[in-house]
Amino acid sequence: MSAGRLDHAAIRAVLRKDLTAIGRSKAVVLPMLVVPIILLVLLPASVGLAAQDRSIDIDRFLSLLPSGLTEPITGRPPDEQLIVLVLGYLVAPLFLIVPLMVSAVIAGDAFAGEKERKTLETLLHLPARDRDLYVAKLLVGFLPSVAVAWVGFALYCVVANLVAWPVMHRPFLPTAQWAVLILWVAPAVAAVGLGIMVRVSIRVSNTQEAQQLGGAVVLPLVILAVGQTTGLMLAGTGPTFLVGCAAWALAAWLNVRGARAFTRERMAARL
Amino acid sequence: MGEPERAIDCDGLTRSFPAGVALDALTLDVRRGEVLALLGPNGAGKTTTMRLLNGVLQPDRGTATVLGLDPWTDGEAVRHRTGVLTENAGLDERFTALENLEFVGRLRGMGGDEARRRGGELLERFGMSDRADVRVQGFSTGQRKRVALARALLHDPELLFLDEPTSGLDPAATRDVVELIGSLASDHGRTVVLCTHFLGEAGKLASRMAVLFRGVLHAFGTPEELARDLWSAFEVRLDLGAAASGPLLARLGELGPVHGAAPTSSGALVRLEQRDDIPAVVAACVAAGAEVYAVEPRDPNLEDLYFAIEARAAGTVAAGAP
Repeated sequence: MSAGRLDHAAIRAVLRKDLTAIGRSKAVVLPMLVVPIILLVLLPASVGLAAQDRSIDIDRFLSLLPSGLTEPITGRPPDEQLIVLVLGYLVAPLFLIVPLMVSAVIAGDAFAGEKERKTLETLLHLPARDRDLYVAKLLVGFLPSVAVAWVGFALYCVVANLVAWPVMHRPFLPTAQWAVLILWVAPAVAAVGLGIMVRVSIRVSNTQEAQQLGGAVVLPLVILAVGQTTGLMLAGTGPTFLVGCAAWALAAWLNVRGARAFTRERMAARL
Repeated sequence: MGEPERAIDCDGLTRSFPAGVALDALTLDVRRGEVLALLGPNGAGKTTTMRLLNGVLQPDRGTATVLGLDPWTDGEAVRHRTGVLTENAGLDERFTALENLEFVGRLRGMGGDEARRRGGELLERFGMSDRADVRVQGFSTGQRKRVALARALLHDPELLFLDEPTSGLDPAATRDVVELIGSLASDHGRTVVLCTHFLGEAGKLASRMAVLFRGVLHAFGTPEELARDLWSAFEVRLDLGAAASGPLLARLGELGPVHGAAPTSSGALVRLEQRDDIPAVVAACVAAGAEVYAVEPRDPNLEDLYFAIEARAAGTVAAGAP
Protein backbone atom coordinates (compact mmCIF):
# COMPACT_ATOMS: atom_id res chain seq x y z
CA MET A 1 0.00 0.00 0.00
CA SER A 2 2.92 2.32 0.50
CA ALA A 3 4.76 1.96 -2.77
CA GLY A 4 5.76 4.89 -4.93
CA ARG A 5 7.00 8.38 -4.27
CA LEU A 6 6.27 10.39 -1.19
CA ASP A 7 3.17 12.57 -1.31
CA HIS A 8 4.69 15.90 -0.36
CA ALA A 9 1.32 17.69 -0.16
CA ALA A 10 0.04 15.18 2.40
CA ILE A 11 3.27 15.37 4.39
CA ARG A 12 3.16 19.17 4.33
CA ALA A 13 -0.49 19.12 5.47
CA VAL A 14 0.30 16.98 8.53
CA LEU A 15 3.47 18.97 9.27
CA ARG A 16 1.63 22.25 9.02
CA LYS A 17 -1.12 21.10 11.36
CA ASP A 18 1.12 19.51 13.97
CA LEU A 19 3.70 22.31 14.00
CA THR A 20 0.91 24.87 14.35
CA ALA A 21 -0.49 22.85 17.26
CA ILE A 22 2.95 22.76 18.89
CA GLY A 23 3.30 26.51 18.40
CA ARG A 24 -0.07 27.09 20.09
CA SER A 25 0.64 24.92 23.10
CA LYS A 26 2.30 26.81 25.93
CA ALA A 27 2.85 23.51 27.72
CA VAL A 28 5.09 22.40 24.85
CA VAL A 29 6.62 25.69 23.71
CA LEU A 30 7.69 26.94 27.12
CA PRO A 31 9.79 23.87 28.06
CA MET A 32 11.13 23.80 24.49
CA LEU A 33 12.40 27.37 24.91
CA VAL A 34 13.23 27.57 28.60
CA VAL A 35 15.13 24.29 28.97
CA PRO A 36 17.44 24.94 25.99
CA ILE A 37 18.03 28.53 27.14
CA ILE A 38 19.03 27.27 30.58
CA LEU A 39 21.10 24.34 29.33
CA LEU A 40 22.63 25.89 26.23
CA VAL A 41 23.02 29.53 27.20
CA LEU A 42 22.72 30.33 30.91
CA LEU A 43 24.50 27.26 32.27
CA PRO A 44 27.49 27.51 29.88
CA ALA A 45 27.67 31.25 30.49
CA SER A 46 27.81 30.74 34.26
CA VAL A 47 30.37 27.97 33.98
CA GLY A 48 32.35 30.04 31.51
CA LEU A 49 32.39 33.02 33.88
CA ALA A 50 33.60 30.74 36.66
CA ALA A 51 36.25 29.39 34.31
CA GLN A 52 37.75 32.88 34.00
CA ASP A 53 39.19 32.25 37.45
CA ARG A 54 42.74 31.39 36.49
CA SER A 55 43.49 30.03 39.96
CA ILE A 56 41.62 26.80 39.20
CA ASP A 57 44.14 24.06 38.57
CA ILE A 58 43.10 21.82 35.69
CA ASP A 59 46.34 19.87 35.49
CA ARG A 60 45.01 17.11 37.75
CA PHE A 61 41.93 16.74 35.56
CA LEU A 62 43.95 16.66 32.37
CA SER A 63 46.36 14.15 33.84
CA LEU A 64 43.49 11.68 34.11
CA LEU A 65 43.01 11.74 30.34
CA PRO A 66 45.18 9.93 27.78
CA SER A 67 47.95 12.34 26.85
CA GLY A 68 47.08 12.26 23.14
CA LEU A 69 43.61 13.55 23.86
CA THR A 70 44.65 16.51 25.98
CA GLU A 71 46.84 18.08 23.32
CA PRO A 72 44.03 20.44 22.06
CA ILE A 73 43.96 21.88 25.61
CA THR A 74 47.55 21.67 26.74
CA GLY A 75 48.76 23.11 23.45
CA ARG A 76 47.10 26.44 24.34
CA PRO A 77 48.46 29.24 26.55
CA PRO A 78 47.84 28.40 30.24
CA ASP A 79 45.28 31.18 30.79
CA GLU A 80 43.13 29.92 27.89
CA GLN A 81 43.18 26.25 28.89
CA LEU A 82 40.39 26.27 31.47
CA ILE A 83 37.91 28.33 29.47
CA VAL A 84 38.56 26.34 26.29
CA LEU A 85 38.17 23.08 28.23
CA VAL A 86 34.87 24.20 29.71
CA LEU A 87 33.26 26.05 26.80
CA GLY A 88 34.93 24.16 23.99
CA TYR A 89 34.57 20.61 25.31
CA LEU A 90 32.75 20.01 28.61
CA VAL A 91 29.41 21.55 27.57
CA ALA A 92 29.31 19.65 24.27
CA PRO A 93 27.06 16.83 25.60
CA LEU A 94 24.28 19.32 26.20
CA PHE A 95 24.01 19.87 22.46
CA LEU A 96 23.15 16.24 21.95
CA ILE A 97 20.88 15.91 24.96
CA VAL A 98 18.67 18.88 24.15
CA PRO A 99 17.64 17.83 20.60
CA LEU A 100 17.19 14.28 21.86
CA MET A 101 14.86 15.53 24.60
CA VAL A 102 12.89 17.81 22.30
CA SER A 103 12.43 15.13 19.65
CA ALA A 104 11.41 12.58 22.29
CA VAL A 105 8.80 14.88 23.81
CA ILE A 106 7.22 15.76 20.47
CA ALA A 107 7.44 12.30 18.93
CA GLY A 108 5.81 10.77 22.00
CA ASP A 109 2.68 12.66 20.97
CA ALA A 110 2.90 11.61 17.30
CA PHE A 111 0.32 8.82 17.26
CA ALA A 112 -0.46 8.43 20.97
CA GLY A 113 -1.65 12.05 20.95
CA GLU A 114 -3.96 11.33 18.00
CA LYS A 115 -5.40 8.39 19.93
CA GLU A 116 -5.82 10.49 23.04
CA ARG A 117 -7.59 13.27 21.12
CA LYS A 118 -9.71 10.66 19.28
CA THR A 119 -8.57 12.02 15.92
CA LEU A 120 -6.66 8.92 14.81
CA GLU A 121 -9.57 7.12 13.19
CA THR A 122 -10.41 10.16 11.07
CA LEU A 123 -6.76 10.36 10.02
CA LEU A 124 -6.74 6.68 9.02
CA HIS A 125 -9.85 7.17 6.87
CA LEU A 126 -8.09 9.86 4.84
CA PRO A 127 -6.24 9.01 1.64
CA ALA A 128 -2.70 9.70 2.94
CA ARG A 129 -0.52 6.60 2.60
CA ASP A 130 0.93 4.89 5.64
CA ARG A 131 4.49 5.85 4.77
CA ASP A 132 3.58 9.50 4.22
CA LEU A 133 1.91 9.63 7.63
CA TYR A 134 4.96 8.06 9.25
CA VAL A 135 7.39 10.42 7.51
CA ALA A 136 5.26 13.43 8.40
CA LYS A 137 5.17 12.43 12.06
CA LEU A 138 8.95 11.92 12.05
CA LEU A 139 9.51 15.36 10.59
CA VAL A 140 7.16 16.93 13.15
CA GLY A 141 9.61 15.76 15.83
CA PHE A 142 12.78 16.23 13.84
CA LEU A 143 12.44 19.81 12.59
CA PRO A 144 11.84 21.49 15.96
CA SER A 145 14.57 19.46 17.66
CA VAL A 146 17.16 20.42 15.03
CA ALA A 147 15.93 24.01 15.05
CA VAL A 148 16.35 24.18 18.83
CA ALA A 149 19.86 22.69 18.57
CA TRP A 150 20.96 25.04 15.81
CA VAL A 151 19.42 28.22 17.20
CA GLY A 152 20.67 27.24 20.66
CA PHE A 153 24.16 26.77 19.26
CA ALA A 154 24.10 30.14 17.49
CA LEU A 155 23.16 31.81 20.79
CA TYR A 156 25.74 29.73 22.61
CA CYS A 157 28.50 30.88 20.25
CA VAL A 158 27.64 34.53 20.93
CA VAL A 159 27.50 33.99 24.71
CA ALA A 160 30.62 31.78 24.85
CA ASN A 161 32.69 34.24 22.81
CA LEU A 162 31.53 37.13 25.00
CA VAL A 163 32.29 35.24 28.20
CA ALA A 164 35.68 34.13 26.91
CA TRP A 165 36.63 37.49 25.42
CA PRO A 166 38.52 38.80 28.49
CA VAL A 167 40.75 35.72 28.29
CA MET A 168 40.84 34.88 24.59
CA HIS A 169 40.61 38.38 23.04
CA ARG A 170 39.15 36.76 19.93
CA PRO A 171 36.13 34.63 18.93
CA PHE A 172 36.99 30.95 19.30
CA LEU A 173 33.64 29.35 18.42
CA PRO A 174 32.38 27.84 16.19
CA THR A 175 35.15 25.48 15.19
CA ALA A 176 35.04 22.83 12.44
CA GLN A 177 34.60 20.18 15.10
CA TRP A 178 31.63 21.95 16.66
CA ALA A 179 30.15 22.33 13.19
CA VAL A 180 30.39 18.57 12.71
CA LEU A 181 28.83 17.97 16.14
CA ILE A 182 25.94 20.39 15.63
CA LEU A 183 25.23 19.94 11.93
CA TRP A 184 25.94 16.23 11.63
CA VAL A 185 25.89 14.39 14.97
CA ALA A 186 23.10 16.24 16.81
CA PRO A 187 20.48 15.71 14.06
CA ALA A 188 21.53 12.05 13.85
CA VAL A 189 21.07 11.57 17.59
CA ALA A 190 17.67 13.31 17.37
CA ALA A 191 16.72 10.93 14.53
CA VAL A 192 17.71 7.93 16.67
CA GLY A 193 15.49 9.21 19.46
CA LEU A 194 12.66 9.71 16.97
CA GLY A 195 13.06 6.20 15.59
CA ILE A 196 12.46 4.90 19.10
CA MET A 197 9.80 7.33 20.24
CA VAL A 198 7.55 7.20 17.16
CA ARG A 199 7.39 3.43 17.45
CA VAL A 200 6.62 3.69 21.14
CA SER A 201 3.93 6.23 20.31
CA ILE A 202 2.33 3.80 17.85
CA ARG A 203 2.08 1.09 20.49
CA VAL A 204 0.73 2.96 23.49
CA SER A 205 -2.63 4.61 24.01
CA ASN A 206 -1.70 8.04 25.32
CA THR A 207 1.14 10.56 25.40
CA GLN A 208 1.90 10.03 29.08
CA GLU A 209 2.47 6.32 28.52
CA ALA A 210 4.61 7.09 25.48
CA GLN A 211 6.83 9.39 27.48
CA GLN A 212 7.18 7.00 30.39
CA LEU A 213 8.01 4.04 28.19
CA GLY A 214 10.02 6.10 25.72
CA GLY A 215 11.95 7.80 28.51
CA ALA A 216 13.14 4.42 29.74
CA VAL A 217 14.43 3.62 26.24
CA VAL A 218 15.92 7.03 25.49
CA LEU A 219 17.58 7.50 28.90
CA PRO A 220 20.53 5.17 28.12
CA LEU A 221 21.18 7.28 25.03
CA VAL A 222 21.26 10.40 27.18
CA ILE A 223 23.69 8.74 29.58
CA LEU A 224 25.84 7.65 26.66
CA ALA A 225 25.82 11.18 25.29
CA VAL A 226 26.77 12.69 28.65
CA GLY A 227 29.56 10.19 29.20
CA GLN A 228 31.15 10.11 25.79
CA THR A 229 30.69 13.40 23.99
CA THR A 230 33.51 15.31 25.71
CA GLY A 231 35.90 12.46 24.94
CA LEU A 232 34.64 12.43 21.38
CA MET A 233 35.33 16.14 21.01
CA LEU A 234 38.82 15.67 22.38
CA ALA A 235 39.37 12.80 19.95
CA GLY A 236 38.98 15.17 17.00
CA THR A 237 36.82 15.99 13.99
CA GLY A 238 37.32 12.67 12.16
CA PRO A 239 36.09 10.43 14.99
CA THR A 240 33.21 12.83 15.66
CA PHE A 241 32.18 12.60 12.03
CA LEU A 242 32.41 8.80 12.13
CA VAL A 243 30.26 8.63 15.26
CA GLY A 244 27.75 10.81 13.41
CA CYS A 245 27.80 8.30 10.54
CA ALA A 246 27.13 5.48 12.98
CA ALA A 247 24.26 7.43 14.57
CA TRP A 248 22.73 8.13 11.14
CA ALA A 249 23.04 4.46 10.22
CA LEU A 250 21.28 3.47 13.45
CA ALA A 251 18.61 6.14 12.86
CA ALA A 252 18.06 4.92 9.31
CA TRP A 253 17.75 1.31 10.48
CA LEU A 254 15.30 2.23 13.23
CA ASN A 255 13.19 4.43 11.00
CA VAL A 256 13.09 2.10 8.01
CA ARG A 257 11.96 -0.67 10.34
CA GLY A 258 9.52 1.73 11.95
CA ALA A 259 8.06 2.77 8.59
CA ARG A 260 7.64 -0.88 7.60
CA ALA A 261 6.03 -1.76 10.90
CA PHE A 262 3.66 1.19 10.76
CA THR A 263 0.44 0.32 8.96
CA ARG A 264 -3.01 1.80 9.35
CA GLU A 265 -4.23 -1.80 9.70
CA ARG A 266 -2.23 -2.20 12.91
CA MET A 267 -3.30 1.18 14.17
CA ALA A 268 -6.96 0.56 13.37
CA ALA A 269 -6.88 -2.90 14.94
CA ARG A 270 -5.91 -1.25 18.23
CA LEU A 271 -8.62 1.39 18.18
CA MET B 1 -15.89 1.18 -19.74
CA GLY B 2 -18.80 2.39 -17.62
CA GLU B 3 -18.89 2.48 -13.84
CA PRO B 4 -20.18 -0.71 -12.22
CA GLU B 5 -23.82 -0.58 -11.17
CA ARG B 6 -22.94 -1.57 -7.65
CA ALA B 7 -21.01 0.84 -5.45
CA ILE B 8 -20.18 -1.91 -2.96
CA ASP B 9 -20.05 -5.62 -3.41
CA CYS B 10 -18.70 -7.83 -0.68
CA ASP B 11 -18.62 -11.57 -0.39
CA GLY B 12 -17.80 -13.52 2.74
CA LEU B 13 -15.99 -10.61 4.38
CA THR B 14 -14.56 -11.82 7.66
CA ARG B 15 -12.41 -10.16 10.27
CA SER B 16 -11.33 -11.30 13.71
CA PHE B 17 -9.51 -9.59 16.56
CA PRO B 18 -7.92 -11.19 19.60
CA ALA B 19 -11.22 -10.65 21.43
CA GLY B 20 -13.15 -12.67 18.83
CA VAL B 21 -14.81 -12.54 15.43
CA ALA B 22 -15.94 -8.98 14.68
CA LEU B 23 -17.43 -9.75 11.28
CA ASP B 24 -18.33 -13.19 10.01
CA ALA B 25 -18.75 -13.84 6.28
CA LEU B 26 -20.59 -10.65 5.41
CA THR B 27 -22.11 -10.78 1.94
CA LEU B 28 -24.05 -7.80 0.65
CA ASP B 29 -24.15 -5.22 -2.08
CA VAL B 30 -25.02 -1.55 -2.29
CA ARG B 31 -26.27 -0.04 -5.53
CA ARG B 32 -25.07 3.34 -6.75
CA GLY B 33 -27.24 6.14 -5.43
CA GLU B 34 -28.73 3.90 -2.77
CA VAL B 35 -28.90 4.55 0.96
CA LEU B 36 -28.23 1.34 2.85
CA ALA B 37 -28.94 1.27 6.57
CA LEU B 38 -26.55 -0.87 8.54
CA LEU B 39 -28.41 -1.65 11.73
CA GLY B 40 -27.39 -3.44 14.86
CA PRO B 41 -26.52 -2.87 18.50
CA ASN B 42 -23.06 -1.90 19.74
CA GLY B 43 -20.51 -4.57 18.89
CA ALA B 44 -22.57 -5.83 15.95
CA GLY B 45 -19.74 -5.21 13.48
CA LYS B 46 -20.98 -2.01 11.81
CA THR B 47 -17.80 -0.01 12.38
CA THR B 48 -15.60 -2.96 11.42
CA THR B 49 -17.58 -3.23 8.18
CA MET B 50 -17.00 0.45 7.49
CA ARG B 51 -13.28 0.14 8.18
CA LEU B 52 -12.96 -2.90 5.95
CA LEU B 53 -14.85 -1.27 3.10
CA ASN B 54 -12.71 1.87 3.32
CA GLY B 55 -9.43 -0.06 3.28
CA VAL B 56 -8.48 0.79 6.84
CA LEU B 57 -8.61 -2.83 7.98
CA GLN B 58 -7.63 -5.91 6.02
CA PRO B 59 -10.10 -8.79 5.89
CA ASP B 60 -9.02 -12.23 7.13
CA ARG B 61 -11.16 -13.80 4.41
CA GLY B 62 -13.57 -12.74 1.73
CA THR B 63 -13.51 -10.10 -0.96
CA ALA B 64 -14.87 -6.62 -1.39
CA THR B 65 -15.19 -4.20 -4.27
CA VAL B 66 -15.84 -0.55 -3.53
CA LEU B 67 -16.45 1.80 -6.46
CA GLY B 68 -14.91 -0.86 -8.66
CA LEU B 69 -11.73 -1.08 -6.56
CA ASP B 70 -10.37 -3.47 -3.98
CA PRO B 71 -10.38 -1.40 -0.78
CA TRP B 72 -7.38 -3.21 0.61
CA THR B 73 -5.00 -3.09 -2.36
CA ASP B 74 -6.33 0.25 -3.69
CA GLY B 75 -7.15 1.79 -0.33
CA GLU B 76 -5.72 5.18 -1.14
CA ALA B 77 -7.77 5.47 -4.35
CA VAL B 78 -10.91 4.30 -2.54
CA ARG B 79 -10.43 6.79 0.29
CA HIS B 80 -10.03 9.62 -2.23
CA ARG B 81 -13.57 8.87 -3.40
CA THR B 82 -15.23 8.17 -0.06
CA GLY B 83 -16.15 10.39 2.83
CA VAL B 84 -16.41 9.11 6.38
CA LEU B 85 -18.16 10.41 9.42
CA THR B 86 -16.97 8.40 12.40
CA GLU B 87 -19.16 7.90 15.44
CA ASN B 88 -16.88 10.19 17.40
CA ALA B 89 -16.66 13.39 15.38
CA GLY B 90 -12.83 13.17 15.56
CA LEU B 91 -12.18 16.90 15.39
CA ASP B 92 -8.93 18.33 16.67
CA GLU B 93 -9.93 20.58 19.55
CA ARG B 94 -6.80 22.68 19.22
CA PHE B 95 -8.05 24.09 15.93
CA THR B 96 -11.02 26.05 14.69
CA ALA B 97 -13.84 24.45 12.70
CA LEU B 98 -12.48 25.89 9.45
CA GLU B 99 -8.91 24.86 10.26
CA ASN B 100 -10.08 21.28 10.82
CA LEU B 101 -11.67 21.31 7.38
CA GLU B 102 -8.67 23.02 5.79
CA PHE B 103 -6.32 20.32 7.11
CA VAL B 104 -8.42 17.55 5.60
CA GLY B 105 -8.77 19.49 2.35
CA ARG B 106 -5.01 19.91 2.07
CA LEU B 107 -4.48 16.25 2.87
CA ARG B 108 -6.90 15.42 0.08
CA GLY B 109 -4.80 17.46 -2.32
CA MET B 110 -6.76 20.72 -2.34
CA GLY B 111 -4.98 24.05 -2.18
CA GLY B 112 -5.36 26.07 1.02
CA ASP B 113 -7.67 28.66 -0.60
CA GLU B 114 -9.87 26.02 -2.19
CA ALA B 115 -10.11 24.04 1.05
CA ARG B 116 -11.07 27.16 3.01
CA ARG B 117 -13.60 28.28 0.40
CA ARG B 118 -15.26 24.87 0.19
CA GLY B 119 -15.09 24.45 3.98
CA GLY B 120 -16.70 27.87 4.46
CA GLU B 121 -19.53 26.96 2.09
CA LEU B 122 -20.25 23.71 3.88
CA LEU B 123 -20.12 25.29 7.32
CA GLU B 124 -22.62 27.86 6.11
CA ARG B 125 -24.84 25.10 4.74
CA PHE B 126 -24.79 23.44 8.16
CA GLY B 127 -25.50 26.68 9.99
CA MET B 128 -22.01 26.88 11.43
CA SER B 129 -20.58 29.87 9.58
CA ASP B 130 -20.62 32.03 12.72
CA ARG B 131 -18.46 29.40 14.48
CA ALA B 132 -16.06 28.80 11.60
CA ASP B 133 -13.17 30.61 13.24
CA VAL B 134 -13.82 29.41 16.79
CA ARG B 135 -11.77 26.59 18.29
CA VAL B 136 -13.71 23.35 18.42
CA GLN B 137 -12.93 22.84 22.13
CA GLY B 138 -16.10 24.55 23.35
CA PHE B 139 -18.45 23.07 20.74
CA SER B 140 -21.51 21.03 21.67
CA THR B 141 -21.88 17.47 20.37
CA GLY B 142 -24.31 18.67 17.72
CA GLN B 143 -21.96 21.40 16.53
CA ARG B 144 -19.08 18.94 16.33
CA LYS B 145 -21.21 16.53 14.36
CA ARG B 146 -22.13 19.22 11.86
CA VAL B 147 -18.49 20.23 11.37
CA ALA B 148 -17.53 16.56 10.97
CA LEU B 149 -20.28 16.11 8.38
CA ALA B 150 -18.98 19.12 6.51
CA ARG B 151 -15.53 17.54 6.61
CA ALA B 152 -16.86 14.26 5.21
CA LEU B 153 -18.47 16.14 2.30
CA LEU B 154 -15.54 18.50 1.64
CA HIS B 155 -14.32 16.70 -1.49
CA ASP B 156 -17.80 15.82 -2.78
CA PRO B 157 -17.35 12.07 -2.31
CA GLU B 158 -19.17 9.46 -4.38
CA LEU B 159 -19.70 7.18 -1.41
CA LEU B 160 -20.38 8.21 2.17
CA PHE B 161 -19.98 6.10 5.27
CA LEU B 162 -21.92 7.76 8.04
CA ASP B 163 -21.65 6.31 11.52
CA GLU B 164 -24.47 7.63 13.70
CA PRO B 165 -24.74 10.95 11.84
CA THR B 166 -27.54 12.37 13.98
CA SER B 167 -26.57 11.23 17.46
CA GLY B 168 -26.32 14.27 19.70
CA LEU B 169 -28.23 16.54 17.33
CA ASP B 170 -31.32 18.45 18.37
CA PRO B 171 -34.56 17.65 16.51
CA ALA B 172 -34.23 20.54 14.05
CA ALA B 173 -30.62 19.67 13.23
CA THR B 174 -31.56 15.99 12.95
CA ARG B 175 -34.27 16.86 10.43
CA ASP B 176 -31.79 18.99 8.43
CA VAL B 177 -29.18 16.24 8.38
CA VAL B 178 -31.71 13.57 7.43
CA GLU B 179 -32.95 15.79 4.58
CA LEU B 180 -29.39 16.45 3.49
CA ILE B 181 -28.50 12.76 3.42
CA GLY B 182 -31.68 12.03 1.51
CA SER B 183 -30.91 14.71 -1.06
CA LEU B 184 -27.32 13.52 -1.44
CA ALA B 185 -28.65 10.21 -2.65
CA SER B 186 -31.76 11.28 -4.53
CA ASP B 187 -30.57 14.54 -6.12
CA HIS B 188 -26.83 14.03 -6.36
CA GLY B 189 -26.63 10.29 -6.93
CA ARG B 190 -24.35 9.71 -3.96
CA THR B 191 -24.27 6.31 -2.31
CA VAL B 192 -24.65 6.29 1.46
CA VAL B 193 -23.94 3.57 3.99
CA LEU B 194 -25.70 4.66 7.13
CA CYS B 195 -24.78 2.99 10.41
CA THR B 196 -27.40 3.95 12.93
CA HIS B 197 -29.30 3.03 16.04
CA PHE B 198 -32.17 5.32 15.07
CA LEU B 199 -34.69 3.22 13.24
CA GLY B 200 -36.85 6.19 12.30
CA GLU B 201 -33.92 7.78 10.53
CA ALA B 202 -33.11 4.54 8.73
CA GLY B 203 -36.76 4.12 7.75
CA LYS B 204 -36.89 7.60 6.21
CA LEU B 205 -33.65 7.33 4.31
CA ALA B 206 -32.78 3.76 3.45
CA SER B 207 -34.20 1.70 0.65
CA ARG B 208 -32.62 -1.45 2.06
CA MET B 209 -31.34 -2.46 5.42
CA ALA B 210 -28.77 -4.90 6.69
CA VAL B 211 -29.13 -6.06 10.27
CA LEU B 212 -26.01 -7.28 12.03
CA PHE B 213 -25.73 -9.02 15.38
CA ARG B 214 -22.40 -10.07 16.82
CA GLY B 215 -20.73 -9.82 13.44
CA VAL B 216 -23.29 -11.91 11.59
CA LEU B 217 -25.68 -10.57 8.97
CA HIS B 218 -29.15 -11.68 10.02
CA ALA B 219 -31.26 -9.85 7.50
CA PHE B 220 -30.67 -7.91 4.30
CA GLY B 221 -33.20 -6.42 1.90
CA THR B 222 -36.05 -3.96 1.62
CA PRO B 223 -38.42 -3.77 4.60
CA GLU B 224 -41.06 -5.58 2.53
CA GLU B 225 -38.68 -8.41 1.69
CA LEU B 226 -37.64 -8.74 5.30
CA ALA B 227 -41.27 -8.76 6.43
CA ARG B 228 -42.07 -11.53 3.95
CA ASP B 229 -39.11 -13.47 5.21
CA LEU B 230 -40.19 -13.07 8.80
CA TRP B 231 -43.92 -13.43 8.66
CA SER B 232 -46.08 -15.66 6.48
CA ALA B 233 -49.17 -13.53 7.08
CA PHE B 234 -49.99 -9.84 7.17
CA GLU B 235 -52.80 -8.01 8.86
CA VAL B 236 -55.71 -6.07 7.45
CA ARG B 237 -57.88 -3.82 9.57
CA LEU B 238 -61.50 -3.77 8.36
CA ASP B 239 -63.66 -0.78 9.25
CA LEU B 240 -67.26 -2.06 9.32
CA GLY B 241 -68.77 0.75 11.37
CA ALA B 242 -69.21 -1.59 14.33
CA ALA B 243 -67.60 -4.68 15.82
CA ALA B 244 -67.80 -7.69 13.49
CA SER B 245 -70.49 -10.20 14.46
CA GLY B 246 -69.72 -13.80 15.39
CA PRO B 247 -71.25 -15.25 12.21
CA LEU B 248 -69.25 -12.83 10.04
CA LEU B 249 -66.01 -13.79 11.80
CA ALA B 250 -66.88 -17.46 11.35
CA ARG B 251 -67.57 -16.90 7.66
CA LEU B 252 -64.28 -15.06 7.20
CA GLY B 253 -62.52 -17.89 9.03
CA GLU B 254 -63.82 -20.35 6.50
CA LEU B 255 -62.09 -18.53 3.65
CA GLY B 256 -58.94 -20.38 2.55
CA PRO B 257 -56.39 -17.55 2.70
CA VAL B 258 -57.59 -16.23 6.05
CA HIS B 259 -55.39 -17.35 8.94
CA GLY B 260 -57.53 -15.78 11.59
CA ALA B 261 -60.01 -13.02 12.31
CA ALA B 262 -60.61 -11.10 15.52
CA PRO B 263 -63.19 -8.43 16.34
CA THR B 264 -62.22 -4.81 16.97
CA SER B 265 -64.42 -1.95 18.21
CA SER B 266 -64.97 -0.77 14.63
CA GLY B 267 -64.80 -4.05 12.69
CA ALA B 268 -62.22 -6.81 12.54
CA LEU B 269 -58.54 -7.56 12.30
CA VAL B 270 -57.94 -10.24 9.70
CA ARG B 271 -54.68 -12.13 9.06
CA LEU B 272 -54.19 -13.02 5.40
CA GLU B 273 -51.64 -14.93 3.42
CA GLN B 274 -51.06 -12.09 0.97
CA ARG B 275 -52.30 -8.73 -0.19
CA ASP B 276 -54.11 -10.31 -3.21
CA ASP B 277 -56.55 -11.96 -0.84
CA ILE B 278 -58.10 -8.65 0.26
CA PRO B 279 -60.86 -8.54 -2.44
CA ALA B 280 -62.16 -11.98 -1.42
CA VAL B 281 -62.39 -10.84 2.18
CA VAL B 282 -64.25 -7.68 1.21
CA ALA B 283 -66.61 -9.71 -1.01
CA ALA B 284 -67.34 -12.11 1.84
CA CYS B 285 -68.17 -9.22 4.14
CA VAL B 286 -70.51 -7.66 1.57
CA ALA B 287 -72.14 -11.03 0.90
CA ALA B 288 -72.77 -11.37 4.63
CA GLY B 289 -74.53 -8.00 4.65
CA ALA B 290 -71.79 -6.02 6.30
CA GLU B 291 -70.92 -2.52 5.11
CA VAL B 292 -67.19 -2.04 4.46
CA TYR B 293 -66.09 1.55 5.07
CA ALA B 294 -62.33 1.05 4.83
CA VAL B 295 -59.68 -1.62 4.43
CA GLU B 296 -56.32 -0.76 5.96
CA PRO B 297 -53.43 -3.16 5.39
CA ARG B 298 -51.16 -2.93 8.39
CA ASP B 299 -47.57 -3.19 7.16
CA PRO B 300 -45.01 -3.88 9.84
CA ASN B 301 -42.91 -0.81 10.59
CA LEU B 302 -39.15 -0.81 10.84
CA GLU B 303 -39.22 -1.21 14.59
CA ASP B 304 -41.40 -4.31 14.27
CA LEU B 305 -38.95 -5.72 11.76
CA TYR B 306 -35.83 -4.84 13.71
CA PHE B 307 -36.99 -6.31 16.96
CA ALA B 308 -38.32 -9.40 15.25
CA ILE B 309 -34.94 -9.90 13.57
CA GLU B 310 -33.19 -9.25 16.86
CA ALA B 311 -35.40 -11.81 18.58
CA ARG B 312 -34.77 -14.34 15.82
CA ALA B 313 -31.03 -13.67 16.05
CA ALA B 314 -31.20 -14.26 19.78
CA GLY B 315 -32.74 -17.65 19.07
CA THR B 316 -36.31 -16.71 19.76
CA VAL B 317 -38.76 -17.62 17.05
CA ALA B 318 -40.72 -14.59 16.05
CA ALA B 319 -43.93 -16.23 15.02
CA GLY B 320 -46.95 -14.61 13.51
CA ALA B 321 -47.56 -11.06 12.44
CA PRO B 322 -46.25 -8.11 14.45
